[in-house]
Amino acid sequence: MKPFQRILQTLGLRRPTPTGRSRAPASASSSPALNASLQETLSRLQTSFGQSSDIVVRQWGGSGDMSGRLSLIYIEGMVNPKLLSNLTKALSEAEPRLADRSIASESVEETIQSVLPAGHLHRIETDAQLYSAILEGSAAVLVDGVPGGIAAAVPGGERRGVEEPTSQTVVRGPKEGFTEELAINLSLLRRKLRTPGLRFERRKIGRYTQTSVVIAYIDGLLDPQILEEIRTRLDAIDTDSILESGYIEEFIQDRTWSPFPTIMNTERPDTAAAALLEGLAAILVDGTPFVLLAPVTFFKFFQASEDYYQRYDISSLLRVIRLFSFFVGMLLPSLYIAVTTFHQEMLPTTLLVSLAAQREGTPLPALIEAFLMEITFEVIREAGVRMPRAIGPAISIVGALVLGQAAVQAGLVSGAMVIVVSFTAIANFVIPALNMAASIRLIRFLLMLLAGTFGLFGILIGTIPILTHVVTLRSFGVPYFTPLAPLEWNNLKDLFLRVPWRLMKSRPEAFYQQNEWRQGQGGNSGSHPGGGAG
Amino acid sequence: MNKPQIRVSQIATWMILFEIGSTTLLLQGAKAKQDAWISMLLGAAGGAALLLMYLWMYRRDPGRNLFQLLRAYFGKILGSAAGFAFVLYFSYESSRNLRDLGELTVMTLLDRTPMQVTLLLFLSVCAYVAWKGPQAAILLNTALVPSLLTSYVLLAVFIWASGLVHFEFLFPILENGWKPVVQAAFPEIVSFPFGQLVLFLVFFSLAQNGKNMTGAMLGTYVFIALFLTFLNQINFLVMGPVLAVNNTFPLWHVVQLVRFARPMRMEPLFSLVLFNGLGTKMAAFMIGALLGLENLTGVSRKMWVLPVSAAIFGMAFISPNLTHHLWLGRKSATWIWPWFQIAIPLLLFLVMLIRSKPKPAAAGTE
Repeated sequence: MKPFQRILQTLGLRRPTPTGRSRAPASASSSPALNASLQETLSRLQTSFGQSSDIVVRQWGGSGDMSGRLSLIYIEGMVNPKLLSNLTKALSEAEPRLADRSIASESVEETIQSVLPAGHLHRIETDAQLYSAILEGSAAVLVDGVPGGIAAAVPGGERRGVEEPTSQTVVRGPKEGFTEELAINLSLLRRKLRTPGLRFERRKIGRYTQTSVVIAYIDGLLDPQILEEIRTRLDAIDTDSILESGYIEEFIQDRTWSPFPTIMNTERPDTAAAALLEGLAAILVDGTPFVLLAPVTFFKFFQASEDYYQRYDISSLLRVIRLFSFFVGMLLPSLYIAVTTFHQEMLPTTLLVSLAAQREGTPLPALIEAFLMEITFEVIREAGVRMPRAIGPAISIVGALVLGQAAVQAGLVSGAMVIVVSFTAIANFVIPALNMAASIRLIRFLLMLLAGTFGLFGILIGTIPILTHVVTLRSFGVPYFTPLAPLEWNNLKDLFLRVPWRLMKSRPEAFYQQNEWRQGQGGNSGSHPGGGAG
Repeated sequence: MNKPQIRVSQIATWMILFEIGSTTLLLQGAKAKQDAWISMLLGAAGGAALLLMYLWMYRRDPGRNLFQLLRAYFGKILGSAAGFAFVLYFSYESSRNLRDLGELTVMTLLDRTPMQVTLLLFLSVCAYVAWKGPQAAILLNTALVPSLLTSYVLLAVFIWASGLVHFEFLFPILENGWKPVVQAAFPEIVSFPFGQLVLFLVFFSLAQNGKNMTGAMLGTYVFIALFLTFLNQINFLVMGPVLAVNNTFPLWHVVQLVRFARPMRMEPLFSLVLFNGLGTKMAAFMIGALLGLENLTGVSRKMWVLPVSAAIFGMAFISPNLTHHLWLGRKSATWIWPWFQIAIPLLLFLVMLIRSKPKPAAAGTE
């Protein structure tokens, strides 16, 4: 496989193994230390940021051409104005006490620390630390004549509040969704899982974006090996920018050349919390409401959080319907093509006659017809996503009336084909995970082509390699097709059916490490489950 | 990451689909007529003896597969020669399945597509599975077995519900005495399908923890033997001895007779079920050949996929037509296959009995 990888590298398809390149332009290790001269530091700051207009430097105690003794540096829009005004007030009051230049630098710092009203303070030693502190929404306090400085975290700025998730909706269940603000997302998770076992591990990825990425997991539930694997894969990312969790997903997924997603995403804190409780890890990325969940299996993409909020019998029915829809979404058009073109004998005679009568007037072979209709639908779908909200109704009129009814009346396509294509399209939306639904759409076209050329034989030729591929896939070491292959009897009860909670006393086997039982049987009786594990 | 484990139960599951393979496609025990079930049971008993022998060899030296056993006990030269013979045998079995499948496709699903095209397509699918390796084939099987077994059970229900089964076709029992029954069983039924389990000597050693291998394999074997006997007998129960014997693909024709309220044929779907069985068997033999070549030459399995596929594709066209193909199958089942299924393994068995267990010199080869 070595030469193959080299070829991919030269083609630019695979990243070279991480080198010692510096992560961020500003964080070079040779960054100058913050020395005693405030003047110098400020001029370096202005050069580094190129006189950017949003950098604010506020100074106290300056007189005439002499610059001030005390200064506060922050970036407008990155800080919370209310907290900032408290800060400035405190500094203004403290300023006279600091005016005397003979005070030792230690006691200056002490004074500042004691007067600052912010919760999170930390020392900064170098220019790089200063820059990253203010870029993260801290205000830095520097005093002339004193080396180093203090950063006070007063993060703020306008962000969307917690709203109902738009892409993963439920009828019953919590209506809050993750937001773009990492701190809010973490608190949403923490509020659902009030255990000291819930751990957040933060790191920064992206040379320019310096995006905060947090691995969340419950200690004692997540397999340490998987955690280690996630860490190494995240650390291996060497890129300019992480603007959405999709970037991370693509960098850390097990196989690049696979149509199937091996990492799940969710907008819902309850889904994420449930996943953590099953022994998965969540990866939260600042700036996006989509949280990644890993490792996942194929069947996880067909489970909705609502399955667990509704009665088990209803949920089981819905699961079966989803599975049925999965097959419909993947196979119906190709089966229709195969049966009408190659195996007419499979149809009951009356249906066959009616189909033949419909197809009599249509000019195109079934395969081309199906392709045309499918592509038309995909275009309508994409238009529906991209277009401005105001012209929504126009699309539905054009889509439903012009392309559906009129196409049949004009004799371009048969009515049965319209039914098949629309049912397939609707069935595709039943699958809760959009990325899985998208993969199925992709496969559908391949199978249609095979069915059109070889009939049922073609469908078999297409599905067996796909199935082979799926069963050999792994998500962070967990076989993708568990619990069906390899078979795990115990996990089958939460697969096609959702048995009552009473019968699901243990965690899904593929993921848990210690702490097998989630009900009764010890483990979580008494104190917090993850608390004692350390 | 940690290597995936292969469990004993998975190998047993693999055996189910492998044995069903092409067996249901053709009629077994034609000579015995309506007593085919007795022949099947006799053949299965013979096969069980062979399976016991294979399992004993595995128990004796669980770390080695067939090819490693041959080399360890027969010596390098003789063992390698026997190994290559087995590779050839496995490839040929694989090619026979391919041809079966081609004939079935031409007769049932795609009568105007040239057989070369369908064979090449199907071969590439099997080659892909073989390239992915035994682990992939086993997992694929685990995923397929439930639906295939269900299909067969449904099929039996449909046949019965359509009122096609005539139990009077069972009688008279032993109309012509024991002779034709025994002749049908030995060696034909023993070598096809039961003796083909010699292939699993290559796969037994893949299991991580083979402690309960014997029990699992024997239990599964009994189930398969009964299942196949039952399916085979359906042909006789529906069509009677004369029609069943003269039919090319009898079970497939039985399926044609199934009627629902309205005429609606389901044999194309049944063809898919048959394809799955054939493909499984073919891929299994192919993997056996590939693992053999890997063991014998030290060159990675993946490098051998293309040459072996080419050989299988070529061998699939040995017979000019279906009749010759079936005749050749029956001849080789009688004269050639017993060498690989009985003679060489028996010899190996005897050597293993006498010689002490050689040290696992090449323990890290797998």
